[in-house]
Amino acid sequence: MTHMTDGSWDSLRARRVTVPEHVAFRIVDEEMVLLNVRTSTYHVVDDVGARFFEVLRASPSLEAAGAELAAEYAQPADRIAADLAAFCRELERLGLIDVEAGAG
Amino acid sequence: VGPLARARISAEILVAYVELLRLVRDGDLTAMVAGARRTWFAPLPAPGEQEAHLTAVRMGRMVHRVLARLPTDKRCLITALVLLRVLAHRSIEARVVIGVRSDDRFRAHAWVEHGGRPVLPSGAFERLLEV
Repeated sequence: MTHMTDGSWDSLRARRVTVPEHVAFRIVDEEMVLLNVRTSTYHVVDDVGARFFEVLRASPSLEAAGAELAAEYAQPADRIAADLAAFCRELERLGLIDVEAGAG
Repeated sequence: VGPLARARISAEILVAYVELLRLVRDGDLTAMVAGARRTWFAPLPAPGEQEAHLTAVRMGRMVHRVLARLPTDKRCLITALVLLRVLAHRSIEARVVIGVRSDDRFRAHAWVEHGGRPVLPSGAFERLLEV
């Protein structure tokens, strides 16, 4: 179930991302191809977006995903947080992820 | 297959095409495949496994040939769905596979498999989804 947020990092940080059943995805030549089965629409994200997507899927919260990506890309946490929030907003708008309440 | 039987199958393909094209326009892939598996005719007796595969291949060629003559949409997805309908009528279970590739530009392709083997050209695409 998707819980609406205002899209800010503060409203997202404790939440976790899940991929709905109507979305198929796979890495093809370092890019991530996502298919929204309900709309038959394909979306392709580059290698960085693909990595963001993988970490988001595997993390218990966006905050944990942000920390991992900040370490991996050696970037300030607030910059990664802003990128991650924007990325999540876009994926959610396209129906490619659900942003759910975190376990806490 | 005699000319009369061929004409009957061609008519079956065209009827399926017209109906399934509407579902394709709606865009919901799950609904398209479910619709393609729903046959309005009484299903024919299921053939044996070997015969089923040969029939699937033969029907694949026939669907491809009939749709190739149409001036309208005959892309891989509608071709796959029509074949799925024709096979469902013959009690042959098959699956639609969606594949993608991203070399010079992004491309997607749909084909039908029976018993894990393609009965429409699958090309060099990486499997994304099987319905």
